[in-house]
Amino acid sequence: MRSDRPSLLLKITAIGGLLFLHLPILFIFLYAFTTEERTYQFPPPGLTLKWFGVAWERPDIWPPLYLSLKVAAIATLMAMVLGTLAAAAMSRARFFGRDQLSLLIILPIALPGVITGMSLRSAFGIMDIPFSTWTIVLGHATFCIVIVYNNAVARMRRLSGGIMEASADLGANAFQTFRYVLLPNLGSALLAGGMLAFALSFDEVIVTTFTAGQQSTLPIWMLNELVRPRQRPVTNVVAIVVFAATFMPILIAYYLTRGGSETAGMGK
Amino acid sequence: MTAAVEFQNVSRHFGSVRAVDGVDLTIAEGSFFAMLGPSGSGKTTCLRLISGFEKPTSGTIRIFGEDVSSVPPHLRNVNTVFQDYALFPHMNVRDNVAYGLMVKGMGRAQRHAKAEEMLALVKLSGYGDRKPAQLSGGQRQRVALARALVNEPRVLLLDEPLGALDLKLREAMQDELKALQHKLGLTFVFVTHDQHEALSMADHLAVFNEGKIAQIGTPQDIYDRPATRFVADFVGSSNVLPPELTRALGGPPQWASLRPEATKLAATGPVSGPVTALRYLGSGTRVVIRAGETEIAALVPAGEPVPAEGEIRAIAFAPQALHLMGEA
Repeated sequence: MRSDRPSLLLKITAIGGLLFLHLPILFIFLYAFTTEERTYQFPPPGLTLKWFGVAWERPDIWPPLYLSLKVAAIATLMAMVLGTLAAAAMSRARFFGRDQLSLLIILPIALPGVITGMSLRSAFGIMDIPFSTWTIVLGHATFCIVIVYNNAVARMRRLSGGIMEASADLGANAFQTFRYVLLPNLGSALLAGGMLAFALSFDEVIVTTFTAGQQSTLPIWMLNELVRPRQRPVTNVVAIVVFAATFMPILIAYYLTRGGSETAGMGK
Repeated sequence: MTAAVEFQNVSRHFGSVRAVDGVDLTIAEGSFFAMLGPSGSGKTTCLRLISGFEKPTSGTIRIFGEDVSSVPPHLRNVNTVFQDYALFPHMNVRDNVAYGLMVKGMGRAQRHAKAEEMLALVKLSGYGDRKPAQLSGGQRQRVALARALVNEPRVLLLDEPLGALDLKLREAMQDELKALQHKLGLTFVFVTHDQHEALSMADHLAVFNEGKIAQIGTPQDIYDRPATRFVADFVGSSNVLPPELTRALGGPPQWASLRPEATKLAATGPVSGPVTALRYLGSGTRVVIRAGETEIAALVPAGEPVPAEGEIRAIAFAPQALHLMGEA
């Protein structure tokens, strides 16, 4: 007889799998509180809050944090403008090569970061563009646009095209139609897209490595810090900050678009 | 009488496709005008030319005498009930109806009062707080109607307004639309591919074929005296006789139409054939006779003898019942 109840074995395997995936995250958190600063010894010999204070005092943490926030903010802003415009064009117009162009827009998310990074780096080299905040922003914008684009396209597809015409028919000018009809229907999708884009940019390492030059974003700072023997828990404190800064937007984005089919682009 | 809408030699071409091709049309103020035709015949494009969502490739369109060729949709005093209703999903019913007044700058209290008035007119009082998604198809249709009418348009355009409704609701809405039009005295222009709907609701209609108007007139004109073979075929229920049959029946060698009500059965005659189908209609029986390639229907009134299937019968009619028409 078939039963709808899962077997005990299946339950144990599933729980085991989930633990294997998520338990290490808890250890990251745990080691932010350990009293042992050189090795990640288990169990921790003692628990302390002092690393939060130490992290706060460390001058080398602040510039990467600022840089990461700045890059993520600018890349997200660029992506929201360009992604929305691209989505609007794609969902309204019918032209030759439309499907191919659409593929080109979403390609950066499918392309390995190493490839994107390498190609950008060599392009910057050929064009004699010195590494700066903007080279990092450009690298991040390539995949941030896709996130916003995917969210906006999915929402526009769900919208009945007639409502824009209905608005004009009822006497609204183009601005009023945008303000009262398009934006309210697109708003949550754009916000969700923007949050996901911000989260992706904030913890991006691969493309950044190729486009940052001597600058350090927060994830790159963490990567360098792991090989240092001293004050290891500080890295874990920063990890908690990064976790919060990326997880919260994704969670909010999830709730904003719940019920829709558009929690797209979580793959990078 | 003033013409509410006037087309002068209007064409709308999309590349090489002549969606609307040299249409002349006058819609009288206060009439209930139907544009009837198969899909792709240009009727919807004509409606969009009136609302302003399409611009004519050539020709002039006048609304109440004013040339509107360069007037964008939002500045035209016409409103549309869209085929899929196109209600704003993020607004409740009241705000949907009040939308046109809101964008014109009317205050909240006043526009909400007007919206409630309109909702009462379409029998949806008390539904103001609902979202469109919480309404049935028929209710959405009424909201779309109220949303258009609240702007006091001089012409109301309806794009296949009843297409998405089931048969029973459709018949009820047909009566309501007709009553509403009568009450408001507005000009209604509606597009449909359903000939029964067009014939029963409109006081004038234009039959479209391949971007051109095949015939324009009252429902009775169209039904009794179709101008072309296409009209007779599309409007249906009339017998369409090819030239050789018309000649056999004593007419000139032309296409002709013959209404089943005017067709009688006889024992012998120039055109005869076996009875292939019988349908009892209550008020009579519809008998179909196969004469060569052509099927001819005759309506035998109740009480008269009905032949059995397979029996040979000839057709007969009063000479004036045969209506000659053009080929195209």
